[in-house]
Amino acid sequence: MRPFVFTQAQNQEQALAAAAANETAKYLGGGTNLIDLMKEDVERPSELIEVAGLGFQEIKSNQNGGYTLGAMLSNADTANHPDIRRHYPLLSMAMLSAATAQIRNMATNGGNLLQRTRCPYFYETSMPCNKREPGSGCGARNGMNALHAIFGWNEQCVAVNPSDMCVALAAIGAKVQVQRVNGTTRTIDFSDFHRLPGDQPEADNTLQPNELITAIELPKPAFSKHYYYLKIRERSSYAFALISVAAGLQIENGTIVRAGLAMGGVAHKPWKLTRAEEFLTGKLPQTKNFEQAAELAMREARPLEDNEYKVEMGKKAIVRALTQAYEKNA
Amino acid sequence: MKNTTPSGTGNPIDRVEGHLKVRGMAKYASEFPVSGKVYAQAINSTIAKGEITAIDTSEAEKQEGVIEIITYKNAEKLKRYDEELPSLLPDVIQPVLQSPKVHYYGEYVGLVVAETFEQAQYAARLVRFEYRTEEPRIHLDRQRSDAYKPEESSDYSRGDVAAGMAEADEKVEVTYHTPIEHHHPMELHAIIASWENGEVKAYASQQMIDNAAITIANTFQIPKEKVRVIAPYVGGGFGSKLHAKQHVILAIMAARKIGRPVQLTVTRQQMFTNTNFRQQNEQKMQLGAKKDGTLTALVHETLSHTSTYEEYQESCGTVSKMLYKVPNNKVSHRLVPLNLQTPFAMRAPGEATGSFALESAIDELAWKLKMDPIEFRIKNDTQTDPSNNKPFSSRLLTECLRIGADKFGWERRKMKPGAQQEGNWLIGYGVSGASRAAPYRETSSKVKLELKGGKVYATIQMDATDIGTGSYTIITQTASEYLDIPVDQVSVELGDSLFPVTPGSGGSWGAASYANGARVACMNAIRELNQKLNTDEDLSIQALLEKNELSSYETTGTAKPSEAFKKHSVYSFGANFAEVWVDKDTGMYRIKRMVNVGACGKILNPKTAFGQIIGGLTMGAGMVIAEQSRIEPKYGNFITRSFADYHVPVNLDLANIDVVFLPEEDKIANEMGVKGIGELGITSVAASIANAIFNATGKRMRDLPITPEKLIMAEPEPDAI
Repeated sequence: MRPFVFTQAQNQEQALAAAAANETAKYLGGGTNLIDLMKEDVERPSELIEVAGLGFQEIKSNQNGGYTLGAMLSNADTANHPDIRRHYPLLSMAMLSAATAQIRNMATNGGNLLQRTRCPYFYETSMPCNKREPGSGCGARNGMNALHAIFGWNEQCVAVNPSDMCVALAAIGAKVQVQRVNGTTRTIDFSDFHRLPGDQPEADNTLQPNELITAIELPKPAFSKHYYYLKIRERSSYAFALISVAAGLQIENGTIVRAGLAMGGVAHKPWKLTRAEEFLTGKLPQTKNFEQAAELAMREARPLEDNEYKVEMGKKAIVRALTQAYEKNA
Repeated sequence: MKNTTPSGTGNPIDRVEGHLKVRGMAKYASEFPVSGKVYAQAINSTIAKGEITAIDTSEAEKQEGVIEIITYKNAEKLKRYDEELPSLLPDVIQPVLQSPKVHYYGEYVGLVVAETFEQAQYAARLVRFEYRTEEPRIHLDRQRSDAYKPEESSDYSRGDVAAGMAEADEKVEVTYHTPIEHHHPMELHAIIASWENGEVKAYASQQMIDNAAITIANTFQIPKEKVRVIAPYVGGGFGSKLHAKQHVILAIMAARKIGRPVQLTVTRQQMFTNTNFRQQNEQKMQLGAKKDGTLTALVHETLSHTSTYEEYQESCGTVSKMLYKVPNNKVSHRLVPLNLQTPFAMRAPGEATGSFALESAIDELAWKLKMDPIEFRIKNDTQTDPSNNKPFSSRLLTECLRIGADKFGWERRKMKPGAQQEGNWLIGYGVSGASRAAPYRETSSKVKLELKGGKVYATIQMDATDIGTGSYTIITQTASEYLDIPVDQVSVELGDSLFPVTPGSGGSWGAASYANGARVACMNAIRELNQKLNTDEDLSIQALLEKNELSSYETTGTAKPSEAFKKHSVYSFGANFAEVWVDKDTGMYRIKRMVNVGACGKILNPKTAFGQIIGGLTMGAGMVIAEQSRIEPKYGNFITRSFADYHVPVNLDLANIDVVFLPEEDKIANEMGVKGIGELGITSVAASIANAIFNATGKRMRDLPITPEKLIMAEPEPDAI
């Protein structure tokens, strides 16, 4: 690992100021991804600013009926919080499917939003990767791409976002609160937080330099009865999703009044299935509607050479997740 | 008078060194507090084939703490291979940093030595290499025309397979693929090396102490007596620590160069590129049988690869020569040299992969015959090894299958795939037969007896290793039994080249060889003490010492295979059963139950033996679930570089496991009736699971691992639906 300066910020202002003073500094939360990447020489910050001790560890209910999750709270404490289990069980289920108990204990909510792709070309510094080294090319585009994107990719980058938590947040429709150096805050819609590679594959999200995530806002609970997070993976734990689907249904008088649907393992960002959500709204929770929603969702899939299977698997996964969500409390 | 002590062999006592391990007091190679030691970090090539054209060490040299940087330019000249493609054996030489040539991605090209581990790691990143790159040969499939026959014994045949196929009523002609797998023991390969007065001392994580000493001595061209290798505890090996690898040579070279002890730990990432692997195999099978299930022909042709600088052949076809009575049999092995490191023995080399092909093909043929796969196997069972006409010393394959079937509830199996369903799950049952040679090798040990406070204390010494298998415990139990003293009066000291020579841990010969080696030393002590008294009275060891007026006594003993052993085929046998639930839509599946029945001679300690089988079953399940190291098609490196992406099974992947040992004492195998067990456990596990997946889905999965992506894209066999 390269030598770096370790700064323990005493408060938020210090953290923001330290970050503003050094453009190659990085905030350190749980470190479960960043430290690994530093060991691999992929991330090379000259300074780590520890933010885990700054507070932002609470889960609060809001006046609008929603909840706010502190950015520095651990994934384990968030997923197991009684209010989250009761009101946002979809989020809890997705978070508990991620990584291992040890990693979930360390990983923070803010850090989870920032975890980087697991593309092997990104991890291996001797191979080309536009995300790691802009302009070096994309090794995976015509290399080994079974684990890569089927939506939203381009010649620059075919990597996928590895998070489970973020798939559920996309389905639920969360917002991200950030703090800026000048003391002001801003709120980013979850669907605008992560980005597609475009001509800047090195940027995973729309955070501005030095901005610090302080909280995640959840809207009023809608899917506490009918929800399911389906994660298809090679082994039962400690494996990233080949495909995952977060499905939430709000059913009134036997009709779907609201659907939240997002996929993981398919794109550079958590992939919200807006057309399928719209299609399902007002429909009956029946297999044929679920199948039609899946067809709609996968219509624009563009598989790469090695990941044709994701199209078939994706359809099956959407239908299964919706069915499980419906039957969960039917 | 003698009493049979309850602590002797056959009892499930706890590991005698267990308390040291759980308290972190058992010292592994990199944990010895050698004073003045410094740290080394090896540097890997970033091309798969070519030559180093320039090296810039200037930036690295400037860093704090850096002591030395070694590349081929300033490395000590070592003994080099004097022939092309020498066989990779456990006592082979291991020259390193001897030329600018690069043979595979990740080959060691340099070493940085620094005061601290962190300094060495950082500086190693700063050494710049320039290369002239050549197109690497890394595709088994594309390079198949280069296949060659490695040795005469690579081919075997009996009878006439064409005639045998012609008289068959049902035939199977299919090809199976198994990927590159890595050993990945928990403990990283590591060494602390020092030179003193022209002698090497190496704390090194090695399975075979004597072979490591030979490799070191021959590579540096010094007498073996001037090499001491110490490995009291080894955190697993699975074959990867059978020989001293290049990092061992690197550390010793560096220690000599700088005149200080050097610690070198191979990183987990380097364990993909520098500590060998199980190679990829393409196994083409042809089987024929008559309507009544009599096998008429069996052909097993294997294509795999070796490196461009050493030769290693895994004999996948071994199992097809001897497991079933088939008059017409042909087995062949071909190798393609590739720009990858040399493959090397990984748990049950040949059997683990060969049994996947054979036992899957047997299941395919049973299905075509519409015959129960257990009955089909039993129909072709034999008590004579058809490959050499020697009788088996003992063979309970039929009993393993029958008892396993009973235990598993095989009668509930439906022959037609997909006939058992629960919700979204398709339920399948699978079975496979297993065999693994039970070798036994010459083993020496020393026993030291001490009479203290009216009790006899015994210490057994040998250069054997305990790689997590339970060697300490079974040797303790053996000495306890043959000296007739309680286990807590026995100490065992292992893993030091100063102790008597054993074959080391590998090839499933450890338990039989070590136990018999200890037995002979103990019996020698009793015999010699009796001779001194000129008595044949049945005296206790304490009485013998007392009557001899001795407070201590020591002697040695050597056990070796008998003439009867050589006249027989000596194998362990087993059967595996698996119940697998396959999701009808998503490609996911769960192994719900596994039953393993083994007939592997006398079980010295049911507890450690159980652990061995559990480990084997887990590794066998790993072959099916996800284990594979894929080669990047352009760059030739492994794209799986950590435990996050090299998937071994997790606890959740394995549900209920039942292990049964059939009572058996094979006195032809050796005096104590012990046979190998460490590798039997992994053998044919993969086939039992793949066969269960067929029984659930009608899909024949002939390409390991069976991942959700493969399963979802596979079509059921036309005759299975």
